[in-house]
Order: sequence, then structure tokens, then C-alpha cells
Amino acid sequence: MTESYSIESCLERWVEVEPVGARHMSDSPVSTHDPKAPVESADPSPQEQKKMEQAYAQMKRKMSMQEIGKKIKHKVMVLSGKGGVGKSTVSTGLALSLAQQGLSVGILDIDITGPNVPKMMGLDGRRLHVESGRIHPAQGHLGVKVISMAFLLDNEDTPVVWRGPIKLGAIQQFIGDVEWGDLDYLIIDFPPGTSDEPLTVAQSLPDIDGMVIVTTPQDVALLDSRKSITFSESLKVPVLGVVENMSGYTVSGKAAPGTEIEIAAPAGKTLKTTSDDEGNFSVTLDIFKEGGGKSTAEEFGVPFLGALPFDPGFVRGGDDGVHRIVSEPEGPSAVAFAGVVSALQEQIVDGDSVGLEII
Amino acid sequence: MSDEMPQLTRFERRELDVQLTYADDSEYSVTYDDLRHSCPCAKCSPMRNEDESSKTLRRQVEALPKEKPKVRIVGNYALGFEWTQGCSSGIFRFERIWDLANRRDPDNGKPYVHGAW
Repeated sequence: MTESYSIESCLERWVEVEPVGARHMSDSPVSTHDPKAPVESADPSPQEQKKMEQAYAQMKRKMSMQEIGKKIKHKVMVLSGKGGVGKSTVSTGLALSLAQQGLSVGILDIDITGPNVPKMMGLDGRRLHVESGRIHPAQGHLGVKVISMAFLLDNEDTPVVWRGPIKLGAIQQFIGDVEWGDLDYLIIDFPPGTSDEPLTVAQSLPDIDGMVIVTTPQDVALLDSRKSITFSESLKVPVLGVVENMSGYTVSGKAAPGTEIEIAAPAGKTLKTTSDDEGNFSVTLDIFKEGGGKSTAEEFGVPFLGALPFDPGFVRGGDDGVHRIVSEPEGPSAVAFAGVVSALQEQIVDGDSVGLEII
Repeated sequence: MSDEMPQLTRFERRELDVQLTYADDSEYSVTYDDLRHSCPCAKCSPMRNEDESSKTLRRQVEALPKEKPKVRIVGNYALGFEWTQGCSSGIFRFERIWDLANRRDPDNGKPYVHGAW
């Protein structure tokens, strides 16, 4: 049976929940207090008491977000204009690849309505531990800490139907009420598009290093990626670079040594290769197109971080909860991810290390 | 030409312009008006596509109060400038600043095409 989650039923599962729309002027610089009004009672009514408690909780969360910002050295947003380009795969891949270097890493899955990072990290069905009002992330492969809406759902088939302000409140709790501890990197995985979620995170979490734009080489995806790049300028969050996912599919095989092999490729092309002395051959098919991510990066003057191969192992790994980087740490996909991470780390530097004196 | 760009080592904000010093000890100056007119953001860039709108942008920039911007380093590839008035959105790659220092068109003569809209 399919049922919809009501706002109340979902939020009841969370800690100290309040919908943002219900908050009362806690952020307003304008006082509503009338000094001439008669003082009715020294004790606040239960309603006033509740408002004060909500304002206090909100203030506490804001302070907490600032503190959390200091404990996490680098925060990276992963975005794409279009869905289905492999954002979550790239997010988990970046996190795991960084963790492989011995760094302390977390993933914040901000995709409220379609959270799938836990499944990819082998944390399906896991519950979050709450202690003293603080939420402790689940730990996946290589010690990567994960927070996701998926941990709060009873049934993965049930949709979360929330309007913007409720999502905003949940995101602020994801940031402010989670005990991440000291992290080298926090990778933040977003739903596709340029809507509420990245805006809320960019405004709530201080000192975000920048965003990684994931795209595939097809024109539709590239068009939307350009939108994300332009969006970054509005948010004043730098683009750390573009990653081209599903870049090419490598077909490998065996034949008699020295055999000339022809393979029918997309767009009516024929690829030719010759097997080596041991009879091995391989050809890379550009399933979509090639080089689109790089040319988009060049067009917008942002760095190109690298291309990731079209690897069916990602699909199997995602479904089984064992990422390709974990199952085959020396494989071509892991190597490609390491290249992307290296390019990413080159972009994430402290101001001082650029060696520029500003007077 | 950006290929041979030396590393920018010093960015000195003066009253009306910025003095740039590169690792090979070469020095250049770029006026704030030139800097603001060449803003690479999605709002300013299309205005440079046509001569008339480019002149309009120039007049708008020149009408702004003369001020020193706040400077922030973006990753390891660019600078961002924050002004009290006018556009502060653009992220200026070091190559772009190098082109401006050398009095070259930082857009390389290419019109800006909105991929987004």
C-alpha cells in the first residue's frame, strides 16, 4: 500500500522540529513591543512560552551552524542542472576517494524527496542515533559519515511531499543539529536544478569552498549545467569545476593476436582497432558525445576537473551498496575518480597558498 | 597569450586603479572602471556584445562612486571584487586580469551567449 508522508508525521521523527513558516519574527530586526501597552501579566502565556522556546531553538541552531562550519575544513556542493547525470554517484565517489586518502569525510544528502546516498553507501535501512538532542551520522564504507532524509523514512516507496519552507527547516536541522565532529571534507549532494536547497545551504553554512557541477556530454545536460554555473555567480559560491560523467564506455575483448577488429559505434561511426600480441583489445565508445563538459568549462572560464567513464559497475555497485571505488579500488573508475579529486583539491586552497599579497 | 601568464604576486588597490605585480617583476595598472566594465557575470557580459550596450555599460560604470573594492580569492584561479554599489557578481580568472593588464579584450572578441536562459 502506498501512503503519503504528512509533514507532521515525518517531522515528529526529527528532533526539536518546527516548520519555518511557523516561526514568529525571531529573525526580524523590528520590535513589535509597545512600551506604552499595559503590562498584563509577568508570566508568559503557554503560547508566548512556545514562541520564546522556538526563537531560542532557532538562535541555538544558528550558533551551532557557525560552530559546525568551523569544525569542517572544506565544504563542497555537488550540483547539476539536469537529473539523471549521476550526481549522487559522483558525490559518493568523491567522498570515498577522499576517504581513501585517509581524510575524514562526510556526505550530506540534501535530496529530501529522492534521497539515495544511503543505499549507495550500503546503509539501507539504517537508523540515526540521537543523543542529548544531537543527531549522530551513520558511518558507511571507509568511515564516511552520512546524513540523509532516507534514514527517517519508514518505507522507501513513500514519497515525501513537502513545500519549500518545510524543506528549508529540515535542511537547517540537517546542518545545525548534526554532530559531524571534525571533518576534512563535507560533500553536499543536492537534487537537480537551481532551487531552494542550494540557496538555503549557501546561506546557512559559512565558508563553502565551492560547487562541483556534474554533467553528461549531451547537449540538454550541458545546457542545464551552464545554468548551474550562472547560478553559482548569484550565490557568490565559486565553481570549483565541471565533472563530465558517463563520458565513454570501454569495450574490451580477446581475439587472435594482430586481428583487425571493427566495432559499430553510435552515430553510424565504425571504430577500428587491432588486438595486441596477447590478443587483448579495447575500444572506447562515446555513448553520448565527447568533450562537452570540457568545452562548457572552457566557455565559462571555470576549471574542468575530469571525465568519468560510463561504468555499468556503478549501477550494480549502487544497487548493492558497494561503490565501485570500494569493490575495485585500483580499477579504472577509481583511478578516474582519484584524478577528479586531485583536480578538485588543487582548486581548494587557502587564500595564503595562492601566494598573492592584497593591499 | 594567457598561456605565458606569470603568477600574480601583488594586488595593490590605489585610489582609481589597481597596481598588479607579477612573479617576473613586471608591473601593470588596471583602472577600476576597466575592471568593472569587463565583469564576466551573466548580467554584465551580454551588455558588451553590442557597441551601443557596451557604451551604456561603460557610462553606468563610470557614474558609480570611485571606491576601492574588497577582494576575495576564489579557489586558486580567480578573484572576486565586492563594491558598495554596482555589480559584485563576476568571478575574474587570473587570465582575465592578465588580459586586462595587457590591454587585451578579455572576452577574446567572442559575444556572450546565455547558455542558461
